[in-house]
Amino acid sequence: MNTDKHGFKAILLRHETILLFVVLLEWLYFNSVGPRFGSVDNTFDIMRHSVEIGLLALVMTPIILTGGIDLSVGSLLGLCAILFGKFWRDAGMSIPLAAACTIGIGALAGGLNATLITWLRLPPLIVTLGTFSLFRGLAEAITRGADTFTNFPASFLFLGQERWLGIPAQAPIFILVAIGIWLLVHRTTFGRSFRAIGFAPEGTRYAGISVERRLAMAYVLAGIIAAVAAIIYTSRLGQAKADAGMGYELFAITAVVLGGTSIFGGVGTVHGTLLGVAAIAVLNNGLVHARQPREVAGMLTGLLLILALTSSIISKMLASLNARRQTSVTKPIIT
Amino acid sequence: MKKIISLLLVAGIAFVSGCGKSDSSNSGSTTPDGGKKITVALMPKSKGNAYFISCKKGADKAAKELGVDLVFDGPTDPDPAKQNEIVENWITLGVDAIAVACENREGISTALRKAKAKGIKVITYDADALPDAREFFVNQATPEGIGFTLMDEAARLCGNEGEFAIITASLTAGNMIEWQKHIEARRADKYPNMKMIALRPCDDLKDKAQSETTALLSANANLKCIMAICSPGVPGAAEAVKQAGKTGKVKVLGLGLPNENRRYVHDGVTDSVILWNTEDLGYLAVFAADSLAKGTLKTGDKTIKVGSMGEYQIEGDSILLGKPFIFNKANIDQFDF
Repeated sequence: MNTDKHGFKAILLRHETILLFVVLLEWLYFNSVGPRFGSVDNTFDIMRHSVEIGLLALVMTPIILTGGIDLSVGSLLGLCAILFGKFWRDAGMSIPLAAACTIGIGALAGGLNATLITWLRLPPLIVTLGTFSLFRGLAEAITRGADTFTNFPASFLFLGQERWLGIPAQAPIFILVAIGIWLLVHRTTFGRSFRAIGFAPEGTRYAGISVERRLAMAYVLAGIIAAVAAIIYTSRLGQAKADAGMGYELFAITAVVLGGTSIFGGVGTVHGTLLGVAAIAVLNNGLVHARQPREVAGMLTGLLLILALTSSIISKMLASLNARRQTSVTKPIIT
Repeated sequence: MKKIISLLLVAGIAFVSGCGKSDSSNSGSTTPDGGKKITVALMPKSKGNAYFISCKKGADKAAKELGVDLVFDGPTDPDPAKQNEIVENWITLGVDAIAVACENREGISTALRKAKAKGIKVITYDADALPDAREFFVNQATPEGIGFTLMDEAARLCGNEGEFAIITASLTAGNMIEWQKHIEARRADKYPNMKMIALRPCDDLKDKAQSETTALLSANANLKCIMAICSPGVPGAAEAVKQAGKTGKVKVLGLGLPNENRRYVHDGVTDSVILWNTEDLGYLAVFAADSLAKGTLKTGDKTIKVGSMGEYQIEGDSILLGKPFIFNKANIDQFDF
């Protein structure tokens, strides 16, 4: 009976639960100040505006779980957006074919990161810092910084701007990717090994797991999803330009870390990341409804991050103190 | 542990209910005389930019005079999607009119069309969107206005005769070519004794403008005036004239921002900095948005009456701010951008 109670408490004190409370509080607060905040239209606005960063955060999660990082996803989004425009406008491809080619490019770009990281054993931070500049530079070189792709057909703009079955048309893609990555990370042995790699890469290798293959998979997946995000972004804005998605990698990383994933790897969940994305998106949107200036959003996101991280650490410390007080000293501490 | 949770919950509830109160106090969105208060949302290209902060000064003035609720918001980071997101937020927020200085012509148009479809009045200022995405564009300066003012001012400084040279950004920049055409037209028409002896590109760099001007000064002893038509060119040319010890003998004027040229204007190196009055631009943008929302401004109108500033001309769908503004020793300190 004690364990049952402990289980309930443990769930309540989990980082994700605290974050869920934060999102709910944000929601309640903004709903009380902004008369239109809670409207269906606004809820869909929040969803539409956070799909691209949300997708990047989702694929960033397995990477950070392995103790890695991918700084190049925002730049890759930009590169994929203008290549998509080029395939469609200059190469005369149909939209689906252009999209398929763009996703192929995304996979190749992710493959480049993966190769450098797994074959040459270079630190992911350095590799993706390099490709961060490379991809953006390529996008700027191809368009000379000025060429803008626009006048996409309405059937394509539907994806980013209209509703399908009553919800934003891009939402199903996001939901599918979210479910897919959740299942991968939490329900397959393949995905569970991401955390093992983050905990102890050498140990994982000795356990007979091909660390390289799993790492490569995480980075290629990031490339593919960055391309998907680029297509959705282009559709939402109705234009593709070399500066698309600038700074998105940092928003994605913020959401992942806010969601409780340790930046050193090994610890974290996909649903935590989703809550992290929600907390930031609701805050950004809600401040407009609260008639607060936009620059407050950055400040509050930072505060939220610090608060969420310290509160979960403090509650963990308190829990372990409690456990120590209640049980005999010899028993191991459960965290 | 329970204590902490319950504390958190209590704090949360107190927070929410406390905020609920502030809502009821400002829910009165009507003016004292009972009419519905109009909300105008004004967006700069980027929020920290001193140019737009100056626009906002004028916008605030207009909002105060008209009694409209002014929302001023814009991107704080370089993400091109931000302007769209802000417009979409404003649509949901239910503002009456939107005025945008567009960073991405095509990109922003999708969001502005959406606003129009929802019955929100849309205008652009400073930088236009696609024409079908907005009702009016508040045009701060026509190429003709800029070209004529530059030439008039140069002629005035030179006493209507003598040699002058132009520093441009690049020989291929479309807007500069357009301005040069009007400068030349004005010269040929009004000042036949003025002679343009050189046109030099400075690649939009202050350093290069300076070295080009130095070369021009040593090669042309009779040069009376340097006209820089890109903003880094004006302080660049001024620095060259100052270092050559020709302050006052060779006049400097150009298109630029007050802050970059303040020092040279006070030192008497640069005589005139030409741009438009950014405060008036903000004022006019808010006024036009309000008039459109109230229905006093309609497509096809030829003029718009603007409060304390009189009447403004409308050409097609652009509201003209009128003649460029000349910043000189007498007035430059009133502006900070």
